[in-house]
Amino acid sequence: MSTLVAASAGNVLVWIVWVVAVFSCLGSGIAVITFSNPFYSALALIGNLGSLAVMYLLLSAEFVAAAQVLVYAGAVVVMFLFVIAYVGPRRETPWSGGPSWQTVGAVGAAGALLVEIVVAVGMQANGSLHSDGRVGAAFGTPAWVGRVFLIDHLLAFEITSVVLLIAAVGGVILGSHTRRTA
Amino acid sequence: MSEPWWISIIKAVVIVNIVLGLFAYLTLIERKVMGRMQLRYGPNRAGPYGLLQPIADLVKLVRKEAFAPSSAIELPYILAPIVSAFTAIAAFAFIPWGPGWTVHGWRINGEVANVSIGLIAIFALGSIGIYGFIVGGWASESKYSILGSMRTCAQLVSYEVSLALSVLGVVILGRSLNLPEIVARQGSWLPYAAPEFIGLVVFFFGGIAETSRAPFDLPEAEQELVAGYHTEYSGMRWGLFQMAEYINLITLSGLMVTLFFSGWHGPWDIGPIWFVLKTMAVLFVFIWLRTTLPRLRYDQLMRFGWKILLPVATVNAVVTALLVVAF
Repeated sequence: MSTLVAASAGNVLVWIVWVVAVFSCLGSGIAVITFSNPFYSALALIGNLGSLAVMYLLLSAEFVAAAQVLVYAGAVVVMFLFVIAYVGPRRETPWSGGPSWQTVGAVGAAGALLVEIVVAVGMQANGSLHSDGRVGAAFGTPAWVGRVFLIDHLLAFEITSVVLLIAAVGGVILGSHTRRTA
Repeated sequence: MSEPWWISIIKAVVIVNIVLGLFAYLTLIERKVMGRMQLRYGPNRAGPYGLLQPIADLVKLVRKEAFAPSSAIELPYILAPIVSAFTAIAAFAFIPWGPGWTVHGWRINGEVANVSIGLIAIFALGSIGIYGFIVGGWASESKYSILGSMRTCAQLVSYEVSLALSVLGVVILGRSLNLPEIVARQGSWLPYAAPEFIGLVVFFFGGIAETSRAPFDLPEAEQELVAGYHTEYSGMRWGLFQMAEYINLITLSGLMVTLFFSGWHGPWDIGPIWFVLKTMAVLFVFIWLRTTLPRLRYDQLMRFGWKILLPVATVNAVVTALLVVAF
């Protein structure tokens, strides 16, 4: 009986954390694209990435959660802030909405993506979303993630790293080209 | 072997207070040690040997007017020191103080939070703490503050890479990111400082840069930037930034002891005391360096970080991995 009470109390806590994380994720996501000051947008992005990390934690993917905070909230957004602070305070809005067909197209594309995700997840899950996920104690640990990346899906992992390398080389080429012509 | 939640809370309160006390007296120790090294006495007026100096400092800071520049951006300006201080204290939850004990049948672990990703969690909290420094400088709307923030930003991003790569060797040897497991694997007689000496040196340099201490204290170079990102802060808000910096230093020393000097292990069974003694020894070296070395130039700092420290850390990690696989 006492374990049942403890379990339901734990469930209530999980629900509260989930609701808070979901709403702060949505709220900060909307804040990112509505703030006129890019510095505030970047700060909202930290909140967005942080609440995503909380949701990963609820899915017992603790390594992914920590990596999310360390890499995206920690390193990537710091670079954003660096650039924004370097360019300086710019009070006027940098982009005040393009032609109206762009807005309509963006909303349409986002809606299509949402439907696609819902359909894909629904088909993939095939009714198993009603029951709790059955994951072992090792799930989400660094060792588990390492096995999935470096043994089960090695080819996809390596191809992704090549894509990132190409992006880095492209950045260097674009940067050096501008310097030469200027 | 899990402990009840109320023991965790008691332990968290105790450890937070130990760390805060350590911070308060670290400021005194630093001023005393620097004073003796420069043939001065250091603070010696408040209490015997100046032992009440931290309390006098605290009373002064709390009673001081917390003024803010009229152009400062209110909310981020106030939140920034809180974020930095909070993440600094929270990071200490993952560092093990002892092997764990059983008192009256209750299990007490040697650390507050035992998670499989302790090491990454400490780095992640540290990277969130950086935002306090950056946002605080930006929200002050002052040229000196923003320059200090930019320097903090560039320096911390540059040296974070080397710092993370330098502990990779220890992670490979310890086969875990869980700090209690890494300590248990080292045992009393083979601290990882011996096989991972290069990793230790890189971690040490990276750590000085991450905590912005001399000779890498360019973000707060007082001759150039008044005080860097916290120029426009006063009273206890400034105190919180100072607290964040010193606790980051204590956490870094504790992490160094945990990863390279076998944590709480020692000849006698006095776990937490060994841990504190080793941490104090590392802190002493940090203070010693501050009085000994002059500040680097900015280009020297960047060149050292990217062209020397990063390649050395990378080669060290690769060689360690090869050796571990080979033997």
